[in-house]
Amino acid sequence: MGRSYFVDEAVEEYLVGIQTAPGSCVTGLLAGQSSPQRDFVVLAVQTPHRESEGQPKASRGVSPLDDIDVEWVTEHAKQVSRMLPGGLCILGLFLVTPPELSKDAQNALKRLIFAMDKYITKGRLWELSEEDVTDQVTLHICSKTKKYPLHSLQLLPYIKLSAKHLISAKPADWKYQTGVSSSWPMLSCSVEVDVQIPVTGSSSDITDKCMKDGLRRWAKQIEAACCLINGRHALDDSELVSGQKKNPKTTHRQTLPARIFVSDEQAELDERSSALVQVCSGSVKVRGVVHCRAYIHNNKPKARHAAQAIKRDIINTVCHRVEMFLEDLLINEGSHKGLCSGQQALPRRVFAPVPVSGLSVCDYMFPDESTADVAERLKEMLDCKTPEEDIDTSLEGNQLFSNVCGSEITESPSDDSSKHVFSEVQTENPKNQKAPQYYAGVAITAAVALLATATSLLYFNE
Amino acid sequence: MVYSEECDFIFRLKGILEFACQLDNPNGVQSQSTISKSFQDLRSKVTSKNIVFTVCNSPVLIWPNTGFQSSVESLTEASACGDILQWIESDDGGSKKSSKKKDKKKSGPTVVNMKLLFEVTEPAGNTAPSLIRVSTQQHCVKMPLPLDCALSVTTDERLETVCTGLVEALNKQLADMEEVVLQYRKGSSFLVPQPFHFQLPEPAGLITVVYPAGVPDSQLQAVREDLHRKFELPCDRPYLRRANAFHFPDAAYKDGYLRNPHIHLNPPNIEDAKLYLVQGVYSYHHYMQDHVDDNGWGCAYRSLQTICSWFQQQGYVETAVPTHTQIQQALVDVGDKEPRFVGSRQWIGSIEVQAVLNQLLGVTSKIMFVSQGSELATKGRELANHFQTEGTPVMIGGGVLAHTILGVVWSENTGQIRFLILDPHYTGGEDLQTITDKGWCGWKGPEFWDQNAYYNLCLPQRPKSI
Repeated sequence: MGRSYFVDEAVEEYLVGIQTAPGSCVTGLLAGQSSPQRDFVVLAVQTPHRESEGQPKASRGVSPLDDIDVEWVTEHAKQVSRMLPGGLCILGLFLVTPPELSKDAQNALKRLIFAMDKYITKGRLWELSEEDVTDQVTLHICSKTKKYPLHSLQLLPYIKLSAKHLISAKPADWKYQTGVSSSWPMLSCSVEVDVQIPVTGSSSDITDKCMKDGLRRWAKQIEAACCLINGRHALDDSELVSGQKKNPKTTHRQTLPARIFVSDEQAELDERSSALVQVCSGSVKVRGVVHCRAYIHNNKPKARHAAQAIKRDIINTVCHRVEMFLEDLLINEGSHKGLCSGQQALPRRVFAPVPVSGLSVCDYMFPDESTADVAERLKEMLDCKTPEEDIDTSLEGNQLFSNVCGSEITESPSDDSSKHVFSEVQTENPKNQKAPQYYAGVAITAAVALLATATSLLYFNE
Repeated sequence: MVYSEECDFIFRLKGILEFACQLDNPNGVQSQSTISKSFQDLRSKVTSKNIVFTVCNSPVLIWPNTGFQSSVESLTEASACGDILQWIESDDGGSKKSSKKKDKKKSGPTVVNMKLLFEVTEPAGNTAPSLIRVSTQQHCVKMPLPLDCALSVTTDERLETVCTGLVEALNKQLADMEEVVLQYRKGSSFLVPQPFHFQLPEPAGLITVVYPAGVPDSQLQAVREDLHRKFELPCDRPYLRRANAFHFPDAAYKDGYLRNPHIHLNPPNIEDAKLYLVQGVYSYHHYMQDHVDDNGWGCAYRSLQTICSWFQQQGYVETAVPTHTQIQQALVDVGDKEPRFVGSRQWIGSIEVQAVLNQLLGVTSKIMFVSQGSELATKGRELANHFQTEGTPVMIGGGVLAHTILGVVWSENTGQIRFLILDPHYTGGEDLQTITDKGWCGWKGPEFWDQNAYYNLCLPQRPKSI
């Protein structure tokens, strides 16, 4: 027996409404929350159209299935997973094909799931626990019959065994419901981050490895931290008490404040009788306040799962913005430059509600960007129209400092598309920048897609 | 192990604070002030609003620096510290008070264990993070400081006072640690400062001393002399060696041996008699331990092991309790036995015990000879004096048996005497209940001895050192 999936009706509507050109395929992501007993799917997003650079690729394979741009699908998945707050993650993929391709769809989906999962989990700073569900769902929709109840379900949970991936397919239960996530409580907190990372070499490879190690140590502290949710310890197997009456009519979403308490305990250091001294060529500090959110389903959730969700969000948000900053640096500076001295702002987190479900998603705004850029990205990545005024930029404060990047500051190229972070806050009129930045946004995303694979290998190689 | 009668609770706060600093030039003059500045930052951290005490095995969290707040409504500033007990889940469910027998005494003060944590949520500002890169060549020093503070209090002491007291203790400990770190630093080599608790005679009570890790006790003589003067401690016996550190009542001994099983017994009620007992701590060594089957021949060896454990735990020696083989080898080394003695099952007596104590531990012993077992009843004064002055366990061998005498109840007037005997012939496991119930550690009368056999007693003498 496979797993049970409770799927929001809005997702059904979306899937049914997907337009496909005759004979072609459409891929997309399914996102939501896993719990030990069942999974909840709350979001579906089709893979955005990729602006091709140069000539369009000639059709390589025999069937449109071979033309699926695996890299692009996985890149989209990675971008979307960065936009999901804690508790939510990519649960699987869907594939819409014309009837004649139905029998090969499963294999295509398998390949995609494989590649996507591998790509998303690279560089993650926290470990999966035994309780984590690693099943992914694949949904094949026949474009001809999609208007009818879906009977061509094939779900493909698989379990990871260390480095090898073992795949076993089991049919699963797929039920539509209204307002699956409408009463899910939202945990939130603002966390002060102050990580001091010594850097033992001067090449950018070493700097990046030191940063990753330093952040991993910090991530372990957060994972081991004590957590209070709504004033109560999130320990053992007790249920999360949100104090909310279960009334199906109310769709009021509770916000539960979380508090995190860390200790400097690091098991491997404790047995030493002398200090650890390293000769460093310098250090990197990550300092500031991050705002974090996580959702937890309201089907008798355990307090410790809620604690885990918010902790992972804390770790992810810091990790993602450092990654994004370094990716950006790589594109603009080239790999030889690396970080220069001084203080540079990391992209700050903003939140926006997804239509219908009202769940928050997030995005990261570089200092020279505006809410218009965020709105564009939300439209492109999540296929949802969010009015600019709904984008909440107040949760993390703007970094205003006049301290510029050492004496190594170079003139930023006049290229408007640069998302440079050299600190002086740009005061250009955002309207003038808007048009070029939109295309720039897409070009950058494409460039990131190409280079990001390289980035993963270069910086975050296991 | 004498507890102050008034103290009902010991609040113990432990936590790790990472000391970190960057030194441009570890041998330069600036480095001392850089180190001091880092300690100053840690002291600020400890007095900030972000520190939290969590009570182990309970849902209680206390913010001591915000006018006392706790995560549990019923615990407020005015609460007595004893109120905290109702929130703590004890994992043994009261097995400490195991027996209802009149013979068993009550155990010491209750230990409340707390952990030091720092809140990272509820920050003062909300500026989004930046990356700050510094490119100067530096020595990065990181060291986890093992903070450990303890306060002895009575039940009615307010919880708030206890917490304020603990914060003060943390501050003082950081200052002590800074002193130790600076004193023992060589360039960029730093020794971890480690706190040790000692229960001193009143009025000093429970104190904490910070010693540098890796520096043996023998090199810390001057430090101890200062402290002995400060606390007016006698200068001929150790109080402040690491081995003398206070053993918290709730902590198990990692090696698994029972300590001082005799404290669970009530001494016999003899009119006009006084109690003279072994001082300090020993481990109970007996047949079959350590996977050595010495049933029938090893009793004197075990008694010797008990004595060695006493010298180790009082801080006189740092060597581990010797094995049967090591004991035999020592006797060969001093020329008392042939080499083939090693690995044999030959018995030893008081004279051999005296020789080994001298050879392995540098401890001298007096030998007392008794021509008949019945005469032992007349040795009350000598034994009383021994326990009063030296307070070491006594090995007695005679007939075919060896035992350890841990104390006497003796009346100077009537001459009545009872002996507290620790029997090495026990072959079972470390079960305190069985050992005390069945008299493997128990009070015996003069009829216990073989009235016709002769006996030799080995009375180890305390070295005069601190």
